[in-house]
Amino acid sequence: MIDRVPVVKMCNIKKNFGGVQALKGVDLVLHHNEILGLVGDNAAGKSTLMKILSGAYIPDEGEIFIEGKKINMASSRDAHHYGIEMLYQDLALANNLDVVANVFMGREKMNFKIGDIGILDEHYMERETERLLDRLKIDLASVRLKVESLSGGQRQAIAIARATAFNARVTIMDEPTAALSVAAIKKVLDLVKELKKQGNSIIIISHRIEDIYQVSDRMIVLRQGRKVCDTRVTGDIDTFREHVVAYIIGARDDYA
Amino acid sequence: MPLINNPEETALIKSANKILQENIREWGMYIALLVIIIIFTITTKGVFLSSRNISNLINQTGYIAVLAIGMTLVIIISHIDLSVGYLSGFLGAVAATAMEFWHWSAPLSIALIFALGILAGFLTGFLVGQMKIPAFVATLAGWLGYRGALQLVTMHRGTIVITNNFFNAIGNGYIPDLSFIPDVGFLRGIHKLTFLLGILVIIFYILSEINRRNRMLYHNFKVSPIHLFIVKLVLMSALIGVITWILSGYRGLSWTAVTVIVVVLFYHFIMNRTNLGRHIYAVGGNPEAAQLTGISVKRITYTVFCSMGILAALSGILYASRFKSATTTAGTLFELDAVAAAFVGGASPSGGIGKISGSIVGAFVMMSLTSGMNLMGIDISYQYVVRALVLVAAVVFDVATRNKKEEIT
Repeated sequence: MIDRVPVVKMCNIKKNFGGVQALKGVDLVLHHNEILGLVGDNAAGKSTLMKILSGAYIPDEGEIFIEGKKINMASSRDAHHYGIEMLYQDLALANNLDVVANVFMGREKMNFKIGDIGILDEHYMERETERLLDRLKIDLASVRLKVESLSGGQRQAIAIARATAFNARVTIMDEPTAALSVAAIKKVLDLVKELKKQGNSIIIISHRIEDIYQVSDRMIVLRQGRKVCDTRVTGDIDTFREHVVAYIIGARDDYA
Repeated sequence: MPLINNPEETALIKSANKILQENIREWGMYIALLVIIIIFTITTKGVFLSSRNISNLINQTGYIAVLAIGMTLVIIISHIDLSVGYLSGFLGAVAATAMEFWHWSAPLSIALIFALGILAGFLTGFLVGQMKIPAFVATLAGWLGYRGALQLVTMHRGTIVITNNFFNAIGNGYIPDLSFIPDVGFLRGIHKLTFLLGILVIIFYILSEINRRNRMLYHNFKVSPIHLFIVKLVLMSALIGVITWILSGYRGLSWTAVTVIVVVLFYHFIMNRTNLGRHIYAVGGNPEAAQLTGISVKRITYTVFCSMGILAALSGILYASRFKSATTTAGTLFELDAVAAAFVGGASPSGGIGKISGSIVGAFVMMSLTSGMNLMGIDISYQYVVRALVLVAAVVFDVATRNKKEEIT
């Protein structure tokens, strides 16, 4: 029964920036262990909607339910508390630090604490990082390598691993395959599939319908701040793409 | 016929070359320091390396070294602090005033200027972290402001002579010796406690290097071959040994040196072993990412500038105490020596990178230049030019080796 309750439910979300209505009442449902694709043209409201879910913006109107419980999301700290992790495009990692430091950035494990400051438990963090990468089948020579020496695909994998490392309930990925080589894209998509296998619930924002088609169960299209399409991912890629693009560019607009 | 026909020897030279290339950025400053020392030792006919001069050099470097440490943190988070030179001078003058005219005790006066240093750092942190004013502009204002403040404090009397013995000992005194060790054999006329401490440092250094190497091996990192590792250990131990011997032959370890060592160890520990240090590097490497993971960039900015303020106060104490007075020009250009020391020590102008140990070596490079050129009687105008060239060379070297590294990957 519990699985019938969606992990995230957003109802009638509205958000204005000055005179511009970025979101005009959007509903979104994410089920347990589901991968949801979120597409739309620039300024369709995808990022705004996800920033509301991750606590970066506060909606003007609307309600958010996590596991069926209504919550009040006021900051990214709240979002962390509810297990919502957002993975930003290109912003995720500090290149001057090694993999362990990046995975545990902002939530370092400490041995001994005075107030907020403590001595790092490097041993624990190293072991946990190795375990995490093993579990997600990410192959690295050493977890002590600096991130600047990794390839683009490896970096994105580390960023994704970090977002999901701390038992995230929902992981939001903003353009995880942008600016990656073909081989790296495949790796990232494999990683997303692996995460689904392990029971994660994920929302992916992307311009690349092919990518979303490969990994998602369902797809939502936003256009000018409204939801114009909410469909299961089925059929062959060409028909599917044609179907979705029609909604993205506004050629079709028949959503109830 | 090849010059070297022993294949083992060729391999050895090749691997040495490779190690040198890979670590050139770190080794560059040590090599620079060595070259500077050799040149000045030759040109001054050995006076540069005399016990007395080295002891003086260390005391002189003290007030720049503590500033350089604070500046390294500031540079790591991609800012700069131009105000700390005059802040240091101003705070030294306040301490002098407190002791000489208000008749405060030395510890109380020191506590007062530490508090003022934190306040100054808080102010800079507010302008930079809260108001988002570029650090260059905010601290340039501080540079002007503290310069004015220094002149106000010293306006009526000019130089304030400090008569407090306790305070003056910080910049002029030396650690006591162990009187129970007999003054015989090679120990005759030698400062035994300093000698003993030197030996302890060498043992500690060797153990920590072996430990570090084992950790790197555990993580499958490439390490230098064992013979090169031993060469490095022997050379560094010899260097520490020589310095120890030189200092022991004069009056031993000065309180200034002790202060600097304590500050270095403390900051090294904070930057490498605690979450605070990790957060400072993270903010320098990618502030947006740090913020998104829950690190408060604002708080780190405040913390770093407050630490800079405290160290500026400490620098003021070391300087005023060394000259037993507060003058109207105290602290002039200290900030630039500190910035130069950090850059020579490998801090990156684009932020995120910098080491406490590097900045200390950088401070010694800058102060050795000053000291050596003074000994040689070189005109001050040429001295500025030489220091400028060294600073530019350090940054060019940094950029060049960094680009090369990127090409490889």
